[in-house]
Amino acid sequence: MATRGIDRGVLSDAAAHESFLRYQRFRWFKIAGVVSLVCLLIYLLVDVQPRHNGGSWLGYALGTIGAGLIVWLALLGIRKRAMTRGRWSLKGWTSAHVYLGLALIVIGTLHTGFQLGWNVHTLAWVLMMLVIISGIYGISVYAILPQGLSDSRSEMTGPQMINAVSQLDKQLQHAAQPLSDSDSAVVVGSLGQDPFGGSAWRRLTGNYPNDPNRAALAYMRDRLEEVPVKQQPAVEQVVELLEKKAAALSRLRGYIQRRGLLEVWLFVHVPLTFVLIAALFAHIISVFFYW
Amino acid sequence: MAFLLRNISLSAEGREIVRTSRVRDDLIKVGRDPGNDIVLNDLAVALHHATLEQISATQIGVSAEAGLTVEIDGVTTQGGQINSLSGGTIKVGPFLLRILGAEMGSEDVAIDVARADTDADEEKFDTRRFALATTLPGKRTLAWSLAVLVFGVFLAWPIYSYWSQRTGNPEQVAAGYHADQLWSSGPLSRGHASLENNCTACHARPFESVRDTSCASCHTQVHDHADLNRMQQAGPQLGAWARFQRAAANVFGQTPGRCVDCHTEHEGAQQMLPTAQQFCSDCHTDLNGRLPDTRLGDASNFETQHPQFQPSVLVRWDGDTPVTQRASLDRNPREMSNLRFPHALHMNATGGVAQMGRRLSAQYGFGQQLECRDCHTPTPDGTRFQPVDMEADCGMCHSLAFETIGGVVRTLRHGEPRQVVADILSFARGNRVPADLGGGPRSRPGDVNQIRAAIQFAQARSAASPRAMSAVRQAFTPDGACGECHQVQMPASGFDYQIRPVAFPVRYMLHGWFDHRPHQNAQRPGRAMITGSQACLSCHTANASNDATDLMIPNVASCRDCHGGETTRLPVPSSCAMCHDYHMDEGVPSQLLRQQVRGRRWTTTVVRAQPQQPPGRGAAPGTR
Repeated sequence: MATRGIDRGVLSDAAAHESFLRYQRFRWFKIAGVVSLVCLLIYLLVDVQPRHNGGSWLGYALGTIGAGLIVWLALLGIRKRAMTRGRWSLKGWTSAHVYLGLALIVIGTLHTGFQLGWNVHTLAWVLMMLVIISGIYGISVYAILPQGLSDSRSEMTGPQMINAVSQLDKQLQHAAQPLSDSDSAVVVGSLGQDPFGGSAWRRLTGNYPNDPNRAALAYMRDRLEEVPVKQQPAVEQVVELLEKKAAALSRLRGYIQRRGLLEVWLFVHVPLTFVLIAALFAHIISVFFYW
Repeated sequence: MAFLLRNISLSAEGREIVRTSRVRDDLIKVGRDPGNDIVLNDLAVALHHATLEQISATQIGVSAEAGLTVEIDGVTTQGGQINSLSGGTIKVGPFLLRILGAEMGSEDVAIDVARADTDADEEKFDTRRFALATTLPGKRTLAWSLAVLVFGVFLAWPIYSYWSQRTGNPEQVAAGYHADQLWSSGPLSRGHASLENNCTACHARPFESVRDTSCASCHTQVHDHADLNRMQQAGPQLGAWARFQRAAANVFGQTPGRCVDCHTEHEGAQQMLPTAQQFCSDCHTDLNGRLPDTRLGDASNFETQHPQFQPSVLVRWDGDTPVTQRASLDRNPREMSNLRFPHALHMNATGGVAQMGRRLSAQYGFGQQLECRDCHTPTPDGTRFQPVDMEADCGMCHSLAFETIGGVVRTLRHGEPRQVVADILSFARGNRVPADLGGGPRSRPGDVNQIRAAIQFAQARSAASPRAMSAVRQAFTPDGACGECHQVQMPASGFDYQIRPVAFPVRYMLHGWFDHRPHQNAQRPGRAMITGSQACLSCHTANASNDATDLMIPNVASCRDCHGGETTRLPVPSSCAMCHDYHMDEGVPSQLLRQQVRGRRWTTTVVRAQPQQPPGRGAAPGTR
């Protein structure tokens, strides 16, 4: 990390990094908070008979605000491609995106009047909540994980980590030459292994059952006591290399896992935003189709 | 015969290094073991992997060891042959053994040995593969496929369902799943549960809010509470907040006065709540202030503010047509039924009426004195009473019989005064039949006799004997059989007696509901439970009425002995909706109907619980 070791206190305010969350002393946090409170207050004051629902005047009003917000929030996907400064800087826009997105929990949920069911309307609400929750997750992991990400790499870059595995593979290839065919087949299993192998689930959980390298290591350790004395040094070397490779793989996979955890929210947040807009459209059409 | 081996490898800079060796043999071994002729240093190659053998001048045989394979010219196999003149390739593990076509005049078979290209390895170590994206479908693919799925299931399918319901065969359409239910925001109320699968019953046209006509297609008996403009005028003065809400609702097309304004749907399988008193009193508490021309009195709470009853009373006659008019009981209106009937006389426990009743008790089941039910018959539903029928309800005592012939009682015809006159005259004549008509000896011939017989016959026929005429007059005098109960219009001359028509209103309260059935057993606060005539008399003071014009409708004060407002210390909390219906004038108020549907039975008045039997008396359950 470039800033590591630097005393942050010596940086002037102007130079200090202001995250989009703290933008303009939490301006959008305050605005979103006020909007949410006002909505909640009106919700409590208005006596809708027999109970609150999306079809009351307040329900329509909240729904209109919510739908407008959803469309505007989704526009960040376009807006982010143009980095600008000033009052409507991308940072300000992003800050508003985060806090107004959170306010949408209040607006959208009050719009439902807490009437949920198995229908297109609740589908839209659920999708909205999934998008918001994935966004909250995204911000949270960005706040927590990057430190661990750099730690997990042991000051290595990605190519270096791969190279380490690759080098170990070459050494294994060489060291295993004297092994018998059946032994070498096991080592080949480790060599043939794709260090990036495994589904998205494996990457995110960091759980790799049936790992060929681990299997090879276990096998070769057992073989240590069985092979003829002549072959023992070769086997010992192979075991040592397999152990090194296991550590390299573990480091690599830890990094992949953290990166996956950092990236996975976008695979929910972005596609579900579009699905949400589709469901929102169906919701609005249906409401007025059967007005 | 020899193999010429060219071992080609790449330096770190990518330069080719070629090492050449010659094996003078017609059989060479290929494998990882250093003892082989061609040593391939890769673990994918077995220690001894394959053998190449010169079979003939032009053929080279290739055979892999048991359980191993090689690739000859791209085909994975255990063994095969290669023409040494045209050449070929053998792939062993990652290595490629290329057999070059033999040069003219040379017997050597040249073989290039090199490691095959390792594209796969390069891909394996592609740093882009750190990204999670390499293991997931693209965001765009996800977004489009799911969005299309949502559109299809939640928009296209329901719209298709809507059109198929409109255009399809109704019976086929009625059954089966309708996808437009995916749009239902919640279950319908219990009353409308049968419409759950029939969205178009209410949502008749797309993009048009539910109209009152949809409701009225089933609810044919309801009408508006009042003129919409007058209702808006009658409404309470709205505060600023309420006015804002009204305006906001108007922006979204939610104008007041529509059925769905009050009768909201899709709020869950609930039942309609009892109408709160406040719902009525909002406008009716001081209606006169905002609607000066209204004829309705202000009302907010039956116990504290309710106008005196204004029953519809038969106040006069227009010729033979009864004229009813609403009149406040405070003005003590009289009922002009044209009957003469003293209730008190009939209810007297000791008088002649009671005595007569006792005499006829075996025949008609009378008790020690007449009871209300002896003359008044309830309607089948028990709500109110049928008009009194002379023959059935009075005729037990007030007999119109005038003679018995062979055990058959002849009676005067009620309701037909001219027939009555004729019957009386006929009766008088029948008692003095002329001799000549009696079948006596034949009369002598001659004009005189004939004329006398004709006169006698005419006299008998006319029956206008002084006695007969007296009998007729007697019947129509105020003490006579007819005049006793009826008002008689005397004829100027002759026998054209007329009875004034009689009418009874069956229902007095046209804008309020009263059911006699729950009042059959009554218990006023602090008094004993009463039934039968006592229950009737506790409201209708018939035992003190000597005139048929007495209107014995109980007033508000009488009802207030038991009925209070919505919340009250009196035994019967009574909101407006107990007697009044918002949408209907006649029939049972819908609130009572709903209560009946939900199991409440109106056979007795609600009375406070009677004290239980003291414990210890009678066998307790389980101790028998």
